[in-house]
Amino acid sequence: MSGPGATAPAAPVGPSGPDAEAAWTQKHLLDVDVLSAAEIGLVMKTTDAMKEILARPITKVPALRGRNVTIIFYEASTRTRVSFEVAAKNLSADVVNIAASASSVSKGESLVDTIRTIEALGAHMIVMRHGTSGAPYLAAEVFSGSVLNGGDGWHAHPSQALLDLYTMRAHLGDLRGRKVVILGDVLHSRVARSNVWTLTAMGADLWICGPTPILRGFDAWAARWANGRGPNGHGGFTVTSDVDAALDGADVVMALRLQRERMDAGLLPSLREYAARFGLTRERLAAAKPDALVMHPGPMNEGVEIAADVAVLDRSVITEQVANGVAVRMALLYLLSGVHGGWHPEGGIGG
Amino acid sequence: MDARQIMTADEMRRAIVRVSHEIVERQAGTEGLVLIGIQRRGVPLATRIAAAIGEHEGVGLPVGALDITFYRDDLSLVAQQPIVKGTAIPVDLNDRTVVLVDDVLYTGRTIRAAMDALVDFGRPRAIRLAVLVDRGHRELPIRADHVGKNVPTSRDELVKVHFVETDGEDAVWIERREGAA
Amino acid sequence: MAEKRAGAAGAPEATPLRVGATIELLEISRAWLVDPVAGREGPGEIVVRDGILEAVTWLEGADAEGIEPEGIVVTPGFLDLHVHLREPGNEDAETVASGLAAAAHGGFTSVCAMANTTPAADEPGVFALVRGAAAASGSPVELLLHGAVTVGRGGERLAALGELADAGAVGFSDDGSPVKSAVILRNALLYAGMLAVPLFEHAEDPTLTAGAEANEGYVATVLGLKGWPVAGEVSPAERAIAVLAAVLPDAPGTRLHLTHLSTGGALDAVRRAKAAGLPVTCDVTPHHLGFTDEWLAGSRRWAWEAVGDDGGARDPWADGALTAHPYATSCKVNPPLRAAEDAAAVLAALVDGTADAVATDHAPHTQVDKEAEFGLAANGISGVETALGVLLAAVGARRLTLGRAIEALTTGPARVLGGRAGRVRARGLTEGDPADLVVLDAGVGWTVTAATLASRGTNSPLLGRELPGRVLLTVADGRLAYRDAQA
Repeated sequence: MSGPGATAPAAPVGPSGPDAEAAWTQKHLLDVDVLSAAEIGLVMKTTDAMKEILARPITKVPALRGRNVTIIFYEASTRTRVSFEVAAKNLSADVVNIAASASSVSKGESLVDTIRTIEALGAHMIVMRHGTSGAPYLAAEVFSGSVLNGGDGWHAHPSQALLDLYTMRAHLGDLRGRKVVILGDVLHSRVARSNVWTLTAMGADLWICGPTPILRGFDAWAARWANGRGPNGHGGFTVTSDVDAALDGADVVMALRLQRERMDAGLLPSLREYAARFGLTRERLAAAKPDALVMHPGPMNEGVEIAADVAVLDRSVITEQVANGVAVRMALLYLLSGVHGGWHPEGGIGG
Repeated sequence: MDARQIMTADEMRRAIVRVSHEIVERQAGTEGLVLIGIQRRGVPLATRIAAAIGEHEGVGLPVGALDITFYRDDLSLVAQQPIVKGTAIPVDLNDRTVVLVDDVLYTGRTIRAAMDALVDFGRPRAIRLAVLVDRGHRELPIRADHVGKNVPTSRDELVKVHFVETDGEDAVWIERREGAA
Repeated sequence: MAEKRAGAAGAPEATPLRVGATIELLEISRAWLVDPVAGREGPGEIVVRDGILEAVTWLEGADAEGIEPEGIVVTPGFLDLHVHLREPGNEDAETVASGLAAAAHGGFTSVCAMANTTPAADEPGVFALVRGAAAASGSPVELLLHGAVTVGRGGERLAALGELADAGAVGFSDDGSPVKSAVILRNALLYAGMLAVPLFEHAEDPTLTAGAEANEGYVATVLGLKGWPVAGEVSPAERAIAVLAAVLPDAPGTRLHLTHLSTGGALDAVRRAKAAGLPVTCDVTPHHLGFTDEWLAGSRRWAWEAVGDDGGARDPWADGALTAHPYATSCKVNPPLRAAEDAAAVLAALVDGTADAVATDHAPHTQVDKEAEFGLAANGISGVETALGVLLAAVGARRLTLGRAIEALTTGPARVLGGRAGRVRARGLTEGDPADLVVLDAGVGWTVTAATLASRGTNSPLLGRELPGRVLLTVADGRLAYRDAQA
């Protein structure tokens, strides 16, 4: 049955990994700790489809037509807030975007009252960022629709970890055994915590690195998960303040922002000292593999945790992360919008 | 489960060849044609039709795949979001004649969703529809231009088209739906 | 089961239904009696007539057949060293009346109310207010009062300690907060020692705990919560003990009581101090011995179930232990729920006597104050009604004996308050005393719900849970304090 030009159409290529026969049953996405490797694979596969949509002349599909997605950010963030808005609009959802400092919240309206008001105004889904760890869980208890955590305190940033993962897989494929280094202020980082869950679920060789005071707690965490004792198949990871050992042979280096407030809190001597000992410069990066990916969740403090000339290297995928962010968020909004009914504690991975 | 085979591999082959001729006849040639298979089984069918056209016309037509998941009208009703399978449109559709290809035509809702998707890619000059099996029970004003076989069915029956590429055999089966809804 | 229950044939004849009325006649036959003053427990019978415990009969031989501690149990009424009644100032959370009703439901016939009301109980006028509310409530539960250590609990000047003592204060405490500085603590200890009133210290170093949300450890790290280090309790506990040692020569009557200790380190310090003969006592709460910081992640297993074979804490995310949503603010308390190793140390301290008493630190809050983001929610667990259930769960799991549990609720706290002769009842089943007892059925349970709690504060992580042991009757000072609807 052959003939000239009769070839099967090119299937969309993307980092869709493990056979994603998992169905999506999460009503909310508050953290990545409840996602199984199969569910993560499903997100990756759905993101592939979303990337294809973003490549079209009209980057819009009617999947969420008639649904109201309300985005409420209690912390200033243009990048992520807009990313979610673009994602929701690409799915034809009606979007309400609230920057909480501008609303009655700053007059003292409680979080619970705000969520109830938002529900009364017709929201089907809430995307929320909040400065206090755990806030989205409270929202999920009082809101009848779905809650997507856009970042809560130091705790979790599910969409960021998933877009980081997608970006890594787009370049490296299967991450099993690949050395991924997260370098910077992990103590205060929800991006770091969520990446620990996703990368260990995918079998990466994860290294966490920074000055000792801001590694606090992670040593004990790594010790708990060492030797196969991590929950439901999560691998262990390494924690060290030795930058050179961490970067040696790395496939991916993710730098995390270091904030001035850490100095003011007496945690570290100075930004200059941090940059000198832990900053990701070209010299330090040379210890990693020659084509190692350079990543950063943004916004960057160039000259502190990452040198300006490193951020613009060819193998820096920082802008790709932003583009992938829209696709991942479209995938998450799509998957969540299909789940109705009650919310049960997930009981850990695979539950 | 009560299954009856209604087309053999040979019958399918003949139907596909006939449909491929009809398509070319209708277009008075192959100029401007592009075949777009609807995921999932419309894709291998479109590929085979293109191959048949290639054999008798000596021309290789472009073949695309279209996933209509995001355009379904029942997304809010299903228990969880259907898994997306992927879209790949290899050529600019503006001014082209698109032949949508699907294995079974039933209520017509899939085709409606497919047309909605297609217009987001451009403005075809014409859209036609080729199916292997038309089983009746239309709920929308949709009709196929090219039909492999008309099969009258009842609502509690399922028509399953199997291709070697996807299911390991070439056959068309009718089954009684389990616990007919 | 029918056999055991039939033993409780003591259908209270002519027991009045009204709270506060004198018990005319109460006969309980074939029950398991626990008398910590006599140091005895076993099958027995009691008779109460016109409010007096007329007869206590211990059964032997054939008569004692079939009577088990898993059936009807009679104990002396409990004494809670540490409750927050919120009146005056925060009556939405609790009033004296609702608090005393809750106490009675929990089997407590005496409670010591802390001074952190608004205004603080730093002078006798506030005492009068609170006592007036107690009298108006008609509850026979004895209300004892702590006076504040410093004016307004501000830590700057000593409160009217002498006047408070004269007005009947059983202890001095700035609880809610530690005494602000070592020098004030020292002066307070000296003065209180002169008055022979114990000083109840809430051991916390605010510089280490500023902004803290959860016990510093694995769970807090994963949940992204600001850590509350163990040192935040251990270090001030050791300091307080050192100050005590220093003032003792000048004020031999001084006594220091460390309340709601939650860490092995602080309990070790108390253990060493006692061994050295220092007059220090301490209490622990049911939640610190029964729950752990895992509960913040959504686990609800008892502390003794959360320890692995090696004595180390298990991983809540690994064991499928998560049955509730994480970040439940009902688990937010000061001191915080600690890791399983510390909870085990608390239980061990109770067993070996280092912990003199169990005190509930009953801290009711309004829904508004608790229905907030975790870091912003008020600290406190409403615990006076569930204390017995938690202890019985430990008894049922063979981590604690019934005898020791009852001691910790009766003679233990009485000894802590001690000294003020005639003020604090001895807490035994002594013939001729006004009846002060609890009748409970250890073989049935009850479900903790907003409806079954008498307290206005429903902020308990045990909501929805069935606890062992149902209080059937609480008698305080010869009068009815609580009666179960089915008793």
